[in-house]
Amino acid sequence: MELLRRFARHPGAVVGAVTLLLVLAVALLAPVLFPGSPWDMAGAPFSPPGEDGMLLGSDSLGRDVAAGIAYGARVSLLVGAVSTAVSILIGVALGALAGYLGGVVDDAVMRFTEFFQTIPSFVLAILLVAIFTPSITSIVAAIAIVSWPPVARVVRAEFLSLRNREFVQAAEVLGKRPIAIVLTDILPNALSPIIVLASLNTASAILLESSLSFLGLGDPNLMSWGFLIGSGRSVIRLAWWMSVFPGIAIFVTVLALNLIGEGLSDAMNPRLRKRGAR
Amino acid sequence: MKLTRRNLLAGAGSAPLLMSASVALAQGVQPKRGGVLNVILNPEPPVLQIGVNNQTPTLICGTKITQGLLKFSPTLDPLPELAKSWTVSPDGLEYVFRLQENVKWHDGRPFTADDVIYSVMTFNREIAPRLRGVLSGVAEATAPDPHTVRFVLKQAFQPFLLCFDATALPIVPKHVYDGSDIRANPANARPIGTGPFKFVEWQRGNFVRMERFEGYWKPGQPYLDGILWRVIPDGQSRRLAIQSGQVHMTTATDIEPFDIPALRQAPNLNVTTKGWEYFSPLFWFEVNHRVKPFDDKRVRQAMSMALDRNFIVNRLWFGLGKAATGPVASTTRFYDANAKLPPFDVNKAKALLDEAGLRANAQGVRGSFKYVIPPYGEIWNRMGEYFRQAMRQIGFEVTLESTDAGTWGSRIANWDYEATSNVLYQFGDPTLGVERSYVSSNIQKILFTNTAGYSNPRVDELFAKARTSSAEADRRAAFSEVQKILVEDVPLLWVVEVNYPTVTDKRLHNAVQLGTGDHASYDDVFLA
Amino acid sequence: MELSRLPGFLLRRVLKSVAVILAIVVCNFLLIHAAPGDPATVMAGQSGAADPQYMEQLRRQFGLDQPLTTQLWIYLKGVLQLDLGFSHRQQAGVAGLIMDRLPATLLLTGAAFLIAISGGVAMGALAARRVGTWADSVITVIALAFYATPLFWVGLMLVLLFSVYLEWLPSFGMSDPSLNATGLALAWDVAQHLVLPAVTLGLFYLAVYARLTRATMLEVADQDFVKTARAKGVPEGRVLRAHVLRNALLPVITFAGIQAGQLVGGSILVETVFAWPGIGRLAFEALLARDYQVLMGVFFITSVMVVLFNLLTDLLYALIDPRVEVA
Repeated sequence: MELLRRFARHPGAVVGAVTLLLVLAVALLAPVLFPGSPWDMAGAPFSPPGEDGMLLGSDSLGRDVAAGIAYGARVSLLVGAVSTAVSILIGVALGALAGYLGGVVDDAVMRFTEFFQTIPSFVLAILLVAIFTPSITSIVAAIAIVSWPPVARVVRAEFLSLRNREFVQAAEVLGKRPIAIVLTDILPNALSPIIVLASLNTASAILLESSLSFLGLGDPNLMSWGFLIGSGRSVIRLAWWMSVFPGIAIFVTVLALNLIGEGLSDAMNPRLRKRGAR
Repeated sequence: MKLTRRNLLAGAGSAPLLMSASVALAQGVQPKRGGVLNVILNPEPPVLQIGVNNQTPTLICGTKITQGLLKFSPTLDPLPELAKSWTVSPDGLEYVFRLQENVKWHDGRPFTADDVIYSVMTFNREIAPRLRGVLSGVAEATAPDPHTVRFVLKQAFQPFLLCFDATALPIVPKHVYDGSDIRANPANARPIGTGPFKFVEWQRGNFVRMERFEGYWKPGQPYLDGILWRVIPDGQSRRLAIQSGQVHMTTATDIEPFDIPALRQAPNLNVTTKGWEYFSPLFWFEVNHRVKPFDDKRVRQAMSMALDRNFIVNRLWFGLGKAATGPVASTTRFYDANAKLPPFDVNKAKALLDEAGLRANAQGVRGSFKYVIPPYGEIWNRMGEYFRQAMRQIGFEVTLESTDAGTWGSRIANWDYEATSNVLYQFGDPTLGVERSYVSSNIQKILFTNTAGYSNPRVDELFAKARTSSAEADRRAAFSEVQKILVEDVPLLWVVEVNYPTVTDKRLHNAVQLGTGDHASYDDVFLA
Repeated sequence: MELSRLPGFLLRRVLKSVAVILAIVVCNFLLIHAAPGDPATVMAGQSGAADPQYMEQLRRQFGLDQPLTTQLWIYLKGVLQLDLGFSHRQQAGVAGLIMDRLPATLLLTGAAFLIAISGGVAMGALAARRVGTWADSVITVIALAFYATPLFWVGLMLVLLFSVYLEWLPSFGMSDPSLNATGLALAWDVAQHLVLPAVTLGLFYLAVYARLTRATMLEVADQDFVKTARAKGVPEGRVLRAHVLRNALLPVITFAGIQAGQLVGGSILVETVFAWPGIGRLAFEALLARDYQVLMGVFFITSVMVVLFNLLTDLLYALIDPRVEVA
């Protein structure tokens, strides 16, 4: 509760949270707002915004851009959430392993992490999606694979410092099983940086998905924001609305997530917050 | 001008001169010497030697350097190029070409009959997959004198002359290639030809520069000082470049169809869809006959009826094409206007599916399948999206699959697909460009064969008859019957006869005159 | 760290780096070859015709008829001798192809880097100095905005504004070859072409650096040596410049080291939008054409670059421990 109150004192964070809720609402209500498929060739091609009954205009096949954005919100948020969950899972597992066990395991895990950080992440994501053919699964997997290393590093650092605290040592002396110690004693205390990272990772996952779609590596069955911009890009001189509006959608969502991340980070780390308000 | 025996027998040397002069005069412009032509090159070809690579950009760029024995008018009549005249024996077995004299290669060596024999019998037979079959039918290739070549065929092959365009049978220097590993020859990136322009420089990812070959065999030509090919990977940048006059010409798929209407209005530009008659690309949706229910011709008929070809032509291709009526493009010889696909009719399509036993469930779904999108650009995606919506109307749920070129190629070649689309060139004669997709002898695990797996003994028989017959009337009869059978069987869902647009700056003249359009040598093109 | 221990440290780091790079080479090799299809099918697809003999010729020429382990061994042997192989598709040596394109990418990323780091540090420092004021808020919002905008979209919008409507700047390419410019004229031409892509690529990182600089400056400003300096009566401007900013730059440099390698990824997008002839596009086109050798070559080069930058920043850290500054 205290956390919530501190979070609420951060105006940016509140704006972010409200915005994200709005985006979520649009995503959930997409079938109500726009009955039918976003792929339906509903009107004349290249109608400017407001004409032909389409608020944000239509694309080269007469499909409603507004409907595309509403359905795209589902895909973008889904990709962001799932890939972040997977990357956090991998990152936490490896980071905890390295931080708790230390020694050879730590060294091995860190080499492995380093290995992934040496390959430019976007290039690796492109390669993975291209090789395993673009689909929602391969996109989520690729994003998760390139975004876990920072999580692992942060978790490892937290575990390293928490590992030697009295309450952990006490639990060990009491004969608690290591897995239980990790899950019930250490992890809850390392949660705050993980949550912050999660909100930021979701933001970058949405950006990454849109970049992949833009390069033509999106799932062709799902209307995503990146797909909209990608298909609008070639007609930008003819129909600016096709790439401008989805771009704004991405911008707003990613901004909201970042604001939330920042608010969370300040709320969970009062020391920094105090200084920020010096 | 129709292609008759008389025209074939008397290829005259004056036709091209007359033609280019008449075009220029009709426009009221005298050929002017000088200036560098700026053209868009997209996508950037891997090498510039025709034959070693046959992508459209390689062909368009390479034809300025490398020439063929013949070239072809928009009605596909042969015109002299490196051969100044030719004769065909009445039995259709012996072809004699008289070559131009005083032709030099770009490295200064003289061009002779030996180069032609090497190019036909070794170079192209070795590396041109499409013509390997044709060329292995040449029993004898001799040079009675340094400027005469004589080919004797094992059996008559009426489309033989059509194979002598630069894009199909490029004439290459024997002294450069003979005895080397053709595909690894350094000349592939810096070709040496007889054409009006010679290769100067290639900054990969940026441009290819060619300049006038001073020793070109047509006196006073070429008119241009050089050609600069600019690599611009982004479609909108390409449009901007032609619109603002930074380049003088765009070809093939450089400009997206939806940009064409605006460019037609631009005061400084000309847009033509002529110049593809020799290739006559035909776009189709392809289903794998080994997958149920695509083995049932009623299902294929229904799918074909569910496609609104006029909508596709107007809305997806922005008028750059013609609704296809069958397997043979209307711009090629032996097209039979009487063999026509049934028209767009969703209700009839549904009835046919019911009849085939594919009943719709409560959600209106009769079945589902996957469609592999070829990775060749925007329009292919849009076509896939259209296909999905069209199939949904008759109760098929289609899942689209994106691929890159490697995956697409290997999946289609290995028959590992349910549905996809493709564009094939027809090369002016059904024996050359149509037969390969339908005869059962060509069901192979290779791209651009009969990958769909269609098989009909009567069709095989008719194509074989047309291939070996030397009588045009017999061939026509065979092709007409084939077309009637095919529009009934619908082995492939033909959709659009594609007309690629060539956009030229009004200062540019003679860019598109032949049936091969911008695949010409450009020795008579000028800026004024 | 003492200088005498430096060679040992360096040696260990270099050996480790070589191991990482070799692992990357092997993984890339396996990953790339795991994909269905090969360069021969791509070439056949683009040629519009094929037959078994043709496919076999291509595969033999590309060395694809060898077992995978043999191919890997041949490639590894080459890499160890710094030979990146030959692109049969493009009929050219891979090292040459990459070297032809590398300067363009280095120019683009270098310029973007300069924009990002100078603009970012300036903005971050200003925000930290005016922390809590409207200037801080404005800068924070701007930084967040750049951070939240897709790179390629910024590029498109800049093209729309500066090339299409205002017609101030060219929208594609690195130079206008039809000008046949040389010397200064060429430099001017390239500079004009450079503006939009460099700004596009730079803006995102500018946001990162602004945030990072602000955060670390606030952190450093709270530390004792700064308080001491203030107590000693050192003017505030000097405190910020000489003590706070200087120390705050270290994490920025670390981050820059990590990001330097990632710029290649971003440059794929920017090079695609602006038709910039760099290695980002080379890699992307090689991927689509299954030009294995080129793709692996680009991976190798970028990995080496990342490792080198990491080594450099480590070295910087080892040599200039921040605590040395305090004393």
